[in-house]
Amino acid sequence: MATPAQPALRSSGNASARRQFDRIATVLLWSAALFIVALLALFIGYLFYLGWSAISWHFLTGLPSEMEAGGGVGPQIYNSFYILFLTLAMTVPIALAAGIYVQEYAATGRFRDAVQFSAESLATVPSIVMGLFGLLVFVQTLHMGFSALAGAFTLTLLNLPALMRVSQEALAGVPNTYREASMGLGATKWQTIVRAVLPSAIGPMITGIVLISGRIFGETAALIYTAGTSVAYGKAAFSFNPMRPAETLAVHLWYAHTEALIPDVTKIGNGSALVLLIMVLIFNVVARVVGRQLSLRLTGKGT
Amino acid sequence: MIQTPNPSVNGLADKMKITDMDIFYGSFQAIKHADMNVPEKRVMALIGPSGCGKSTFLRALNRMHDLTPGARVTGSVTLDGHDIYAPHVDPVTVRHRIGMVFQRPNPFPKSIYENVVYGPKIHGEKNRKKLDAICEQSLRAAALWDEVKDRLNRSALDLSGGQQQRLCIARVLAVEPEVILMDEPASALDPIATSKIEDLIGELKKDYTVVIVTHSMQQAARISDFTTFFLLGELIEVGTTSDIFTRPKDKRTEDYITGRYG
Repeated sequence: MATPAQPALRSSGNASARRQFDRIATVLLWSAALFIVALLALFIGYLFYLGWSAISWHFLTGLPSEMEAGGGVGPQIYNSFYILFLTLAMTVPIALAAGIYVQEYAATGRFRDAVQFSAESLATVPSIVMGLFGLLVFVQTLHMGFSALAGAFTLTLLNLPALMRVSQEALAGVPNTYREASMGLGATKWQTIVRAVLPSAIGPMITGIVLISGRIFGETAALIYTAGTSVAYGKAAFSFNPMRPAETLAVHLWYAHTEALIPDVTKIGNGSALVLLIMVLIFNVVARVVGRQLSLRLTGKGT
Repeated sequence: MIQTPNPSVNGLADKMKITDMDIFYGSFQAIKHADMNVPEKRVMALIGPSGCGKSTFLRALNRMHDLTPGARVTGSVTLDGHDIYAPHVDPVTVRHRIGMVFQRPNPFPKSIYENVVYGPKIHGEKNRKKLDAICEQSLRAAALWDEVKDRLNRSALDLSGGQQQRLCIARVLAVEPEVILMDEPASALDPIATSKIEDLIGELKKDYTVVIVTHSMQQAARISDFTTFFLLGELIEVGTTSDIFTRPKDKRTEDYITGRYG
């Protein structure tokens, strides 16, 4: 039985060389992956090492100071979330609507191509250019001044193309059989999109929104000339008023290092960087958990 | 060259009537001058080798080609004497009255319950009690109720392939169509699940008109009252299933039945 198979099992001339090569390739690929993980671990470790001593209740909640040591970043943390919220509230509906149009309604055609081309071009605009555009249009022409709203508008322009792409891809990932099944049951196109397609696209959508939120958290160049580099005084710093100046944590990190006159700039900078990192990490984890729950609920696996 | 469309045999009423139908994908003609009558509350099987256009033909019967860019249907298809391709006709209404079961089970990634009541809900039924009743009734009619009645809130994706396909049939029954189109509904299923689907089709014809595409001639012989043979986009012959299988009029039908085509 085994006899005819024997010759095939014997290694041919270059087999050991090939095996060697296979091993080397595995090690190389593994090292590359490890390098990325190590880099992140090193980065986080270093930030903790530098910034941990700066973290205190006062630092996390207190007001910043212009001249003396011992300022906090409370308003900046609040502003980061506030501007993120404003931006997403504008970006998500528009990006979703545009994505639905391009993916579900526009067949191939001039208008669809124009939308795609515009989105791709917009996506390549550097954020500092977008920031200056925001300064001209929102801050000056529309008289918003340095404000949370002007910042949020600018960030909306900056992130709209990427999020439209995300929603388009999420919709493209929904199997066509769902659309056929729904239409076959006598649903209209709109009912099909709302009830059969969107619930299945929610998972990738959440992932995309989380990634973009990370970018919004860390954005500086687009905000320096729009949301400004200062916060309102006293209690106003924590208000819902979108027309007040609203320096975010990332902008504060840059500002403290380059412009501020405080003596403990290194400490404030390191602390801010660490807080920013932790905030992004927590946000990512929470958003993913919520997204998964939502996705399970909508697709019937959760109950 | 087409003989008279299957004469309304035994005085059966015709539920649907297809006259001089052509279907094009771009410049390719997938169906050529098809004529056929579909008798009410009977099972009509469409057979023929792969690529002969039988699925294409089936999808024209409830305007699913409207969703395919580049597809074009000409000629007329009537349901109870009304042309479903007439300009004022809403394809959504057509698909409400003529349901479709697809080749691969395609339940939504929702609970079993939500799958069944999907149709009634989009047609405006909100009363929870009525929806519950429709759900049970449809699942019973699809011979699935006893297997799933204790887990209606579980995901439909946890069901086996055969159960998923019966769920898809229940989902179609829930919108109370008059005609059910089936596109090789058992081709992705094992023999036991297949025989359950076939038994179910036997039950369904008491209340519904069924048109089924099948690649299995045995299946056509087992479940259908009438059979239509397609070859290369042409409707070659329509007749009672026993005539087609024992006394085909056309040489090409006979060649296919006796296994001379793939």
